[in-house]
Amino acid sequence: MTQVKALILTGFGLNCDHETALAFELAGAEPHRVHINSLVAGTVKLADFHILAFGGGFSWGDDHGAGVIQAVKLKNHIGKDLLAFVDAGKLIIGICNGFQALVNLGLLPGLDNDYTRRCVAITYNDCGNFRDQWVHLAANSTSPCVFARGIDKADFPVRHGEGKFIADPDVLASLLTGNQVVFQYADKTGNPANGAFPFNPNGSIHDIAGICDPTGNIFGLMPHPEAYNHVTNHPDWTRKKQQRKSRGPSFDPDETLGIRLFRNGVDSVRARFF
Amino acid sequence: MIACIEIALKQSLRDADASSLVKKAGSYFGIQIQSARTIHMLTIDADLKPMDLERIRQEIFTNPVTQVSSLSPLEIDFHWCIWIGLRPGVKDNPGATAMEAIEDLLGRSFGPDEGIYTSKRYCLSGESLTRSRVETLAKELLANPIIQQYKIFSKADWHPEKGADVKPARVILDHTPGFDFIDIDSDQTLAKISDQRNLALNPRDIPVIRQYFLDPEVAAQRRVMGLSGPTDVELEYISQTRSDHCNHNTFNGIFRYTDILTREETIEHSLFKTYIQQPTLALKEKKEWVVSVLWDNAGVGVFDEHNNYVITGETHNSPSNMEAYGGAITGIVGVYRDPMGTGLGSKLFMGSFGFCVGDIRYDGPLKPPLHPRRLLDGVIEGVRDGGNKSGVPTTFGQTLFDPGYMGKSLVFVTALGIMPGQVKGRPSHEKKTSPGDLILMSGGRVGKDGIHGVTASSESYSENTPAGHVQIGDPYTQKKMQDFLLECRDEGLIRFITDNGGGGLSSSIGESAMISNGCVVHLDKVPLKYPGLDMWEIWVSESQERMTIAVDPKDLDRFMALSSQHAVESTVIGEYTDTGKLHITFQGKTCAYVDMDLLDKGFPAWEFDAVWLPPAARGLTEPVIRTPRDVNGLITAMLARPNICSKEWILRQYDHEVQGGSVIKPLVGVNHNIPSDASVTRPVLTGNRGLAFSQTLLPWYSKIDAYHMMTCTIDEAVRRLIAVGGSMDHIGGVDNFCWPDIEYDENTNPDGRFKAAQLVRACRALKDACMAYEIPLLSGKDSMYVDGHLEGAFGERIKVSALETVQFSATSVVTDVMRCQTLDPKAAGDRVYVAGITANELGASEYYDLFGRIGANVPRVNFAAGKVLYRAVEKAMGLEMPASCHAVGRGGLGVHLALMTMAGKLGMEIDLSQVPAASDTRSDVVRLFSESAGRFVLTVPEDQSAVFEKLCKGLAVCCVGTVTDAHDCLKITGMGKDLIADLPCDILEEAFTKPFGEMI
Repeated sequence: MTQVKALILTGFGLNCDHETALAFELAGAEPHRVHINSLVAGTVKLADFHILAFGGGFSWGDDHGAGVIQAVKLKNHIGKDLLAFVDAGKLIIGICNGFQALVNLGLLPGLDNDYTRRCVAITYNDCGNFRDQWVHLAANSTSPCVFARGIDKADFPVRHGEGKFIADPDVLASLLTGNQVVFQYADKTGNPANGAFPFNPNGSIHDIAGICDPTGNIFGLMPHPEAYNHVTNHPDWTRKKQQRKSRGPSFDPDETLGIRLFRNGVDSVRARFF
Repeated sequence: MIACIEIALKQSLRDADASSLVKKAGSYFGIQIQSARTIHMLTIDADLKPMDLERIRQEIFTNPVTQVSSLSPLEIDFHWCIWIGLRPGVKDNPGATAMEAIEDLLGRSFGPDEGIYTSKRYCLSGESLTRSRVETLAKELLANPIIQQYKIFSKADWHPEKGADVKPARVILDHTPGFDFIDIDSDQTLAKISDQRNLALNPRDIPVIRQYFLDPEVAAQRRVMGLSGPTDVELEYISQTRSDHCNHNTFNGIFRYTDILTREETIEHSLFKTYIQQPTLALKEKKEWVVSVLWDNAGVGVFDEHNNYVITGETHNSPSNMEAYGGAITGIVGVYRDPMGTGLGSKLFMGSFGFCVGDIRYDGPLKPPLHPRRLLDGVIEGVRDGGNKSGVPTTFGQTLFDPGYMGKSLVFVTALGIMPGQVKGRPSHEKKTSPGDLILMSGGRVGKDGIHGVTASSESYSENTPAGHVQIGDPYTQKKMQDFLLECRDEGLIRFITDNGGGGLSSSIGESAMISNGCVVHLDKVPLKYPGLDMWEIWVSESQERMTIAVDPKDLDRFMALSSQHAVESTVIGEYTDTGKLHITFQGKTCAYVDMDLLDKGFPAWEFDAVWLPPAARGLTEPVIRTPRDVNGLITAMLARPNICSKEWILRQYDHEVQGGSVIKPLVGVNHNIPSDASVTRPVLTGNRGLAFSQTLLPWYSKIDAYHMMTCTIDEAVRRLIAVGGSMDHIGGVDNFCWPDIEYDENTNPDGRFKAAQLVRACRALKDACMAYEIPLLSGKDSMYVDGHLEGAFGERIKVSALETVQFSATSVVTDVMRCQTLDPKAAGDRVYVAGITANELGASEYYDLFGRIGANVPRVNFAAGKVLYRAVEKAMGLEMPASCHAVGRGGLGVHLALMTMAGKLGMEIDLSQVPAASDTRSDVVRLFSESAGRFVLTVPEDQSAVFEKLCKGLAVCCVGTVTDAHDCLKITGMGKDLIADLPCDILEEAFTKPFGEMI
């Protein structure tokens, strides 16, 4: 059975490539860390892969807007290959800086299947500073997003200075009717945070933490699922271990929600292409 | 042709940058700004066609959803406008990335004298604004004159067409580069030259330098090369390598130590050899996990059978005190280059910080160059950008306040890397330069910035420190360079690598050429930021983000191919030889030709007198404080003190999750708001092994005796590791000394001898503690001039010295992270234990400081008891008995029981009479606030307590109470069996977050 091949972009200040590659490996895919210049020079072909990951980091130092120069460079050199990749029904995931690049490229939100129109943006946090915390997420079970299938709620870390999702009211309305809002920042009980800081860490409208395109194949989110690749990543793991221990069963670390999200993508590709 | 693009966020969007200015203007200076907007500006000094200008304005620099932009000044009205730009020669990071993006989009490259310069202008509206108030904002908040310039426009001055009329901040030196011969006919002449050129040569070195150049044989060889007297390049080279920063002259100096009381008189020949090198080499034999110490850029220890970890820590004080942001970002990005330059190069996997600043609410007469509040803001942001943008998690850090640091604030930065044990079958920690290897310089370009960085840090800061001394770190360029160099390492292309830190090329090439015993350097090949630098400037410049690499000629093509793929600039600037000479040329002419072993030539060790006055001889006695009645008030007051309270707003700005290996985070507890004992990280994501890291700073005890300051600091660092699951069998140490000037001088340093004695005692304590707990010192640094001369109200200058300060960092390997633990009590019914003796040791405690007292009973570490107790706690942790474990630190039991209560959000009922204590420690207050070393608080489930007590039999471990969910209060009954404290969580939390609660 040939392997599901995932391409993880590296270089120019991207810095989550190693753990994103590991997450894909644990999820059953064959990860390849590929420098952006290798794609630009054509020594690596995008068409040879099934999943493309725009990982986290500070591409070009976030100068002139997070993900802006990355989007310009990729659109300028492999714009057509990206659109062909989308047309082939392959999967794209953009995490944090990667989500910013996807919205600057226009691959998200992909309204009316137009993958070039820039109509949403991710801008400076309302709190006016870079912020690292874990967030609770409420998932929209009706969204077509392949990666989030079967996940109703999740905890992941966020680390950004520009994470506030904004869009004009008409664009927001289309996203809601198309069920393209995948994750919303939630409070401890799992209900949407309604903008309350710090549950909503950046002031995103409608508590939006992640969206997908109408087909569900392209997914962008600010939280980092790859940073929940081991049970001890979770901030409350020592408390959960102690509660389980007191109730008897040994605390065997089953697959984390972070890896499960990647596995959803890998399994859907395997079902679709093999 | 000069064009200018102006970009601003749409009116409807929240302008975070401008609102932060409005907030600070109000809270710091009481200046009311009704509204403000920020405009980013790109000044393009290149001949671009209007069509191209319009294309880059739209496709690169304007986000249609959030921004408006224009090629002429935006019509945003204001009462006053402040324009802020960088001064010529200061690294413009966004300017460089803008050029990269334009070159990529338009497919053209920029000429040598073309460039892009970024700046910004704030449009401020407010009836009460006046020119002088706006001037205050520009000077005090927005622009630091060392690296920035500003212009102020009133509504009337503003010309809608010309706008801010920004001139390109281009450096035009119009100076033909060269070198000069310097006549040093007498020692006095050389001493005068040393002052004029800021060489900071020690008087004892001057005759030795002159004799070298007067030696007939040397002079003859030099004549062959066309040289007569020394050149400026050579003198600068000698000054760099002989500077205290690079040569640690103090720690290699001779100390005549006398103790007034005991009449002891000892000659210490080298504090370094006796108290750091010798114990570490002895322990290296016993600890097989120690791989490489005492020579490379960082120490190396075994992490697992396939990987080694690397650690080093240093300070970046001088520059941070003049330009907080630039100094701090350069500090963190700079220390990250050490692990990159250790062995064949390691991958960074975590960093930590330590800030020691003055009182940020100071409003007295003294005028430090930067107010502590502004300095702390700048330092926090510098380490934030430097750390986050490098993709390295900042997993641990502390911030301390003391009036002494207003003289000179301290910025500690520590970096850890991970690397495979073997590369292409060869040990990765071994490297050498061989004759014929090419000298490559990779990364940034060279400019005037940072010239005399090390010599300035070897002087106590005063008004003659050269302003051009500070640079801005560029984590983006460095991250690209690290990705590139790791790939080169794995392909076996790197023979030797080191970083360009203090002293620039003169140190990196000078030191690495010692191994091959010679080198030839062609300074005209070195890529420059702007033309016109003299040879000596290129040779000693400390421009950032540069590594020096030895490459075998046969690997050059592959090395350069990878360099261009990673968009990193690499240049061959010379080659290593074995001629025994350091030979530098410029356009074929020799400008330096000295013997490699010139610097081992009998430079006399520096000498110091050290006279110890014991605390009693200095009039220090215990204060007389009758027992207070309001213990609730005392505990909340202690929690609200700056050195104890929550500083969550700093830690939350640092990414501590990148690389996905976080196990124990900087903040723990139910609300993720209580500082953890130590961090634990998995640098290798495919396994369950972790690296625990702790760090301790207890400078206050130096007010009584630096010996006990050191032992307590190391003891706490060890306990912090054990509290999260570390092991006594594997503890590595890093010592960072920051000391006021110890060279006695009747007028400028009359208490020099006392501070010298404190240094000797601290070093003796370092050895005693390291030998007791078997801690090899993997790395360490010293910064010996933490004094400042602050201007007073009447034009006088008052010397303010920092406390004798040591930051001790420690590492331990955790075989299975699943057995790690945090300090938050987890379940009702668990028993609370205190391990370790509480004695009457309130000397220099936070409690006495509350009353403005020092006292005399400084805490004393009992190593013998500690070793046994910590192994018992380690064993219990290994068996996963404790549900929580916490090392008791600053503030004593009262404070740390409160922290645990807040962390668990569960009630704790404590009986002080059960606390294991010395016989003379009977009072509630002493048991609550004594800062005795060697103690833990643990909670253990009821069904485990019998086994736990058996394991601790015969040790000072007692059950002092229970955890409950009947309430969430900290209830403490005193020695008299009466309830002396009853504090619910929300009251504790309100006190704990009060001082900095509104900061984000």
